[in-house]
Amino acid sequence: MNKLGRGHRDKVHQFMTITGAGEKAALTVLKASDWHLDGAFDIFYRQPHAKSFIDVRHLEELYNKYKDPYADMIMADGISNLCTDLQVDPQDIVMLVVSWHMKAATMCEFSKQEFVGGLQSLGIDSLEKFRERIPSMRAELQDDQKFKEIYNFAFGWAKEKGQKSLALDTAIGMWQLLFEENRWPLVDHWCQFLQARHNKAISRDTWSQLLEFARSVDPTLSNYDADGAWPYLIDEFVEYLNENGIIQKGRMKEWL
Amino acid sequence: MPQNLDPATPSLANAAICSIAASLIPEPKNIAFIEADVKVITANESETFEKFRNINLGINRTEIDIKFELEMSSQKKKNFQIEAFKHRVVVDPKYAEKTWKILEHAIHEIYNHNASGLSFEELYRNAYNMVLHKFGEKLYTGLVSTMTSHLKEIALSIEASQGALFLEELERKWTEHNKALQMIRDILMYMDRTFIPSTHKTPVHELGLNLWRDNIVHTIKIQTRLRDRLLELVQRERSGEVIDRGLMRNVIKMLMDLGSSVYQEDFEKPFLRLSADFYRGESQLFIESCDCGDYLKKAEKRLNEEIERVSHYLDAKSEVKITNVVEKEMIESQMTRLVHMENSGLVNMLMNDKYDDLGRMYNLFRRVPNGLSLIRDVMTSHIRETGKQLVTDPERLKDPVDFVQRLLDEKDKNDKIIHLAFNNDKMFQNALNSSFEHFINLNVRSPEFISLFVDDKLRKGLKGVSEEDVETVLDKVMMLFRYLQEKDVFEKYYKQHLAKRLLSNKSVSEDAERSLILKLKTECGYQFTSKLEGMFTDIKTSDDTMQGFYAAMGQELGDSPSLAVHILTTGSWPTQLTTTCNLPPEILTVCDKFKTYYLGTHNGRRLTWQTNMGSADIKATFNKGQKHELNVSTYQMCVLMLFNNGDGLSYTEIEQATEIPTLELKRCLQSLACVKGKNVLRKEPMGKDIGEDDTFFFNDKFASKFYKVKIGTVVAQKESEPEKQETRQRVEEDRKPQIEAAIVRIMKARRVLDHNNIVAEVTKQLQSRFLPNPVVIKKRIESLIEREFLERDKDDRKLYRYLA
Repeated sequence: MNKLGRGHRDKVHQFMTITGAGEKAALTVLKASDWHLDGAFDIFYRQPHAKSFIDVRHLEELYNKYKDPYADMIMADGISNLCTDLQVDPQDIVMLVVSWHMKAATMCEFSKQEFVGGLQSLGIDSLEKFRERIPSMRAELQDDQKFKEIYNFAFGWAKEKGQKSLALDTAIGMWQLLFEENRWPLVDHWCQFLQARHNKAISRDTWSQLLEFARSVDPTLSNYDADGAWPYLIDEFVEYLNENGIIQKGRMKEWL
Repeated sequence: MPQNLDPATPSLANAAICSIAASLIPEPKNIAFIEADVKVITANESETFEKFRNINLGINRTEIDIKFELEMSSQKKKNFQIEAFKHRVVVDPKYAEKTWKILEHAIHEIYNHNASGLSFEELYRNAYNMVLHKFGEKLYTGLVSTMTSHLKEIALSIEASQGALFLEELERKWTEHNKALQMIRDILMYMDRTFIPSTHKTPVHELGLNLWRDNIVHTIKIQTRLRDRLLELVQRERSGEVIDRGLMRNVIKMLMDLGSSVYQEDFEKPFLRLSADFYRGESQLFIESCDCGDYLKKAEKRLNEEIERVSHYLDAKSEVKITNVVEKEMIESQMTRLVHMENSGLVNMLMNDKYDDLGRMYNLFRRVPNGLSLIRDVMTSHIRETGKQLVTDPERLKDPVDFVQRLLDEKDKNDKIIHLAFNNDKMFQNALNSSFEHFINLNVRSPEFISLFVDDKLRKGLKGVSEEDVETVLDKVMMLFRYLQEKDVFEKYYKQHLAKRLLSNKSVSEDAERSLILKLKTECGYQFTSKLEGMFTDIKTSDDTMQGFYAAMGQELGDSPSLAVHILTTGSWPTQLTTTCNLPPEILTVCDKFKTYYLGTHNGRRLTWQTNMGSADIKATFNKGQKHELNVSTYQMCVLMLFNNGDGLSYTEIEQATEIPTLELKRCLQSLACVKGKNVLRKEPMGKDIGEDDTFFFNDKFASKFYKVKIGTVVAQKESEPEKQETRQRVEEDRKPQIEAAIVRIMKARRVLDHNNIVAEVTKQLQSRFLPNPVVIKKRIESLIEREFLERDKDDRKLYRYLA
């Protein structure tokens, strides 16, 4: 950076802010486009970016480091090691974001393709880079659109293979985790309600509709519409809230 | 005709005219034509036409005179002309005055009843001449002032009349005036025809009426007196007095003749006002002192009186107005109070079948806005209330047959009311139907009870009843069935009960059975009854099969017990948990033989014995050599057969030997040992209930008057609570695929639809069978989403898409 002229340095900054690319990637692309920003964007977005700038061999090494000794994939132990190396709690929700980026099919598992491909598209080829990216990944949870994608991704990721619905315990765990970040005040009541009244697996529809519900219906339920085509479980939840006096006349007792 | 007046034949001119005139008489319409073409001549020649004029008076003929100027001198110069008409100047300056005096005198004479001495023809001519000589104005004003002065005199005499004579005097004078007016008009007819239209004055007759109105009716002294007198008479009549209706009619007729506005202003409006006050007061009085029925009678009487009054002496147009007043004051303003009157209001009438009162109320209330809907609403809520009490009364639940009978009675009662009192009004029929639908469904057991009612009827109730009566009963049942929202529940129960009837051969009449199924089919379609019909077919084919079996295997069987098997198609019959018991060896042999036979003739079938549905006839010999035939259930038969090989069997022994389910075994032992007169077994210790430690003995001392003894199982005819729950659950389960099928059908057609519309459509599609619960529909939708028949729209979460 220091070797660059001031104009060039600004361009690199600008490029990085817009594309979110790393400094190295930015430099390479800018140089290739002869320091024209437009040209650089073209190049950057046209090719599956970053890929060419990542050393696949590093990724292979990284993969092999965590790979399960008995199968060609990273299993729970490997992930746990990875977490330790990343200085992240395995229970941390950021691992969900990581999995989302890797398009992982199942919880606590990364296939080689998922791991390598995922890191490649993230432009990560070393543990340090990985670690550096953790905060920005965590920040992605604050983006409504991304959160929604991650939330809906979580269903398929967390459920048992071959099952259509998500086991209740897992679902509750996921909800507590997810809504910890994207705070929904009724989440505890929701989980209590499910344990008390439902005690069955959760369907994909109910899962995805709950986020809609959490977002569009305010916690006092003042704008809840009984004819609003909510899954019956949510209708019953509302009933449960009213019955147990948790919500009274559009006011929530212990909230606020 | 003008061409007849050929100038070359002048001598014929007069004759021609005469003949024209004569020929004109039967054809008056031609006159105008002639008048237009033929010119009129001098007055002094008029005398020659005297006769002619007289002839023509009747047809309003005016003068026709012709003058010819003939050029007689020269044959060659045939030059002639018709001269313009010239007025003859009236020489006598006092002519007009003299003539008017004659006429004025005549008018006086007419008013003084001296008209007989007058020459009508002369007077007419005078009037005619006055008009002709431009004295029309004088004539007219003269008429007005003369008539006015006469009327003023008349007014004085009317004013002078005392009390009751007032109207009579008025009527008399009015008649006289009319007569006089008639004569005067005839005399002045020419003025009426020519002078008045051209000067736009009031014609004589109308003038006469107007003058009468202004000088008599509208004078201060007469106007109010007349009105008050008339109203007083009406009031008197209302209070029961007999009044001179002829006089009333004539006077009212006079007002009407004077113009509709005179009638309205001078009589009708005050009359209506007075009537409103009167009836307001009277309705207050009645409502305080009468009950509802009496009030209605009085109101009806008043209404009829007013209608009658109109027909006797009022303008026919007044009928609507006065009836409106009565309706408004007597009915509309009091109707709510009337309907809700305690101990005599509508509810009381309904309860006591007061057809006359109800009919009266209907006929009166229909005259006022919202009257009928008020009756309907009160009736509806009454029926709903009584219906609700009926169906929710725990006492009633004990006897399902009585329960349904009461429903039918209630329906009959209300039908009769609507028929007799409410003119079979559709509005009330609909209200009745919706009320029944409302309360019948308040009790979830209604479908079961209705089926039990049918069961009762078909088992015994219809024995010895004529075919038509059977139909009537069945039609009534169908009517109740129509009210049911959960028709599928009825079907479920009906199937159970029908199965029992068929298997125990208890049905009174197969025709009745089939007739009812046909009715259900017309009501609900083929699907609804296909299984029921299947049950009948099974019974029939079973009979054939048994014949075949005995024909083929008869000899082999020897004297083993005879067997009758009903082969029931799985699915058509109510599902039963197959709890087989151990059959006695004698029976088992026959059964096995049958099984072999059946499976040999029908490939690929499976037979399971439904021992819980069978029955048996056993011959038993008791101590004194008494023989009885016992009609028992299969389970009971199994138990009894054990006693051929030993006595004093404990409950456990029996249970082990037969493997009959505990509950069933207890029931069947109870009916064998604990029912007086049927106790072929003896139990130790004695007691009403069966205990696990009881021991049973063959009851040697059993005695009965009858050779055949039917030992019924102690059955709960009505379902017990757990059974009910189970049936309910089965119904709910059966509904699921139906709801899903409906959703898929709808979505397949619509591709995309929002939630509420799906629910509405599904409800519509299924309501002929049952009323689906929206929550259940929602669950089915979610299940279909999960199974990927549907998906939620990505942008609008209330929208579902069909995934082909």
